[in-house]
Amino acid sequence: MANRFCVNLTHAKDNPDKATVGFVIANAALGSGKETLVFLSIEGVRLAQKGYADDIREEGFAPLRELMDNFAKAGGTIYACSPCFKKRKLDENNLVPGATIVGGVKLVEFLSEGSPCVSY
Amino acid sequence: MSASIPAPRPADAHWDAGDLGCGDLVLELRVCLEAMRPGQILRLTARDLGAQADIPAWCRMTGHTLIAERHPTYHIRRKES
Repeated sequence: MANRFCVNLTHAKDNPDKATVGFVIANAALGSGKETLVFLSIEGVRLAQKGYADDIREEGFAPLRELMDNFAKAGGTIYACSPCFKKRKLDENNLVPGATIVGGVKLVEFLSEGSPCVSY
Repeated sequence: MSASIPAPRPADAHWDAGDLGCGDLVLELRVCLEAMRPGQILRLTARDLGAQADIPAWCRMTGHTLIAERHPTYHIRRKES
């Protein structure tokens, strides 16, 4: 059984339900003892900006900000896709805790070393 | 992320990748290194923010050796085969 888990998250406020569930599953993976990566791409990269997720609250779930804070505090890793980030002219100096801007190579390396991946 | 290693001997070639990043960067980087002889050193300039994480990972996966890095400059030794 793989000791890693990846959540590929492509949505933010364009689909707050998916954005929220992505972090719920990521926290489930972390809680299960998996080294967990959330890869933010497409619209999902907006979640890497500090403050962006503060007003995302899906009924039936904890606020997204709280889910993301818990993920970072528990040692989860967040990668934000560099070209997606650049395209949206986001601020590299205003990242949420645990986030790093990377290119696709880092995702390829993580998955190539053996990891399931679920996409939202 | 930008931990630096002392600069190596002079490079045999230089490629300025400008703002290329992600797949575009490594695809052309692969072509660049394949055109060089084993053991030769490429000095790469890559300004994309993701390069700091991607270039070391790419070298680990492909077997080329990252011998120095100080973003945006990377020295890469071509692998033997």
